[in-house]
Amino acid sequence: MSEILFYLGAVMIIIGGICDLFGAIGLLRFPNFYVRLHAATVGTIGGAVVPLFGVALLALGADFLPHRYAIAGASFITGIIVLLAAPAGATALAYAAHKARLVEWKPKVDHLAEVRGDD
Amino acid sequence: MLESTFMTLMKLIIPLYIAAFVIYAVRAFKGPSIPDVILAVDCMSFDIAAFMAILAVYFKSTFLVSAAIILALWAYLLDIYVAKYLANGEVGA
Repeated sequence: MSEILFYLGAVMIIIGGICDLFGAIGLLRFPNFYVRLHAATVGTIGGAVVPLFGVALLALGADFLPHRYAIAGASFITGIIVLLAAPAGATALAYAAHKARLVEWKPKVDHLAEVRGDD
Repeated sequence: MLESTFMTLMKLIIPLYIAAFVIYAVRAFKGPSIPDVILAVDCMSFDIAAFMAILAVYFKSTFLVSAAIILALWAYLLDIYVAKYLANGEVGA
């Protein structure tokens, strides 16, 4: 039973590392701030929440670890905090960047402006 | 048995996270506008929190995870303060 939890957590940590690297490459290579928000979501949800839940499962299954229940519970709580805080922070940042006109905004299709007939 | 498996896993995991930190740091240093810098620092903080949870299992210490909770909350606070300042021109109520 503990081996199943351990290997499930190990697989989740490996998935988290790969998602983290892909999110970082996307954040470096994407052309625009609003496109970079997508890569940032891959890097936080896939790269931080999944390995935190993986550490919780791995610590529950690890027999060699002292204080394993403390590490599992605290990393589970950290995963829930990141899961709630990262989308809220990214949304607030996108709203502020659009309202303060810091980032150039060139949409290819804007149906709302076509319906309104103006900017 | 499980401990040697975990040490092998760490040899696989540490280069992935270090490479991701370096690429995030490049974007944070060369970001053309303020929201890019804040977004890169945000991603870097959340990923350092996850990496500290992995290192807590590696070093067999509980204190690293309790620091990771505070790091995640601090990154959210940075987002909200900077967004509030950019939208309103001040960090008021």
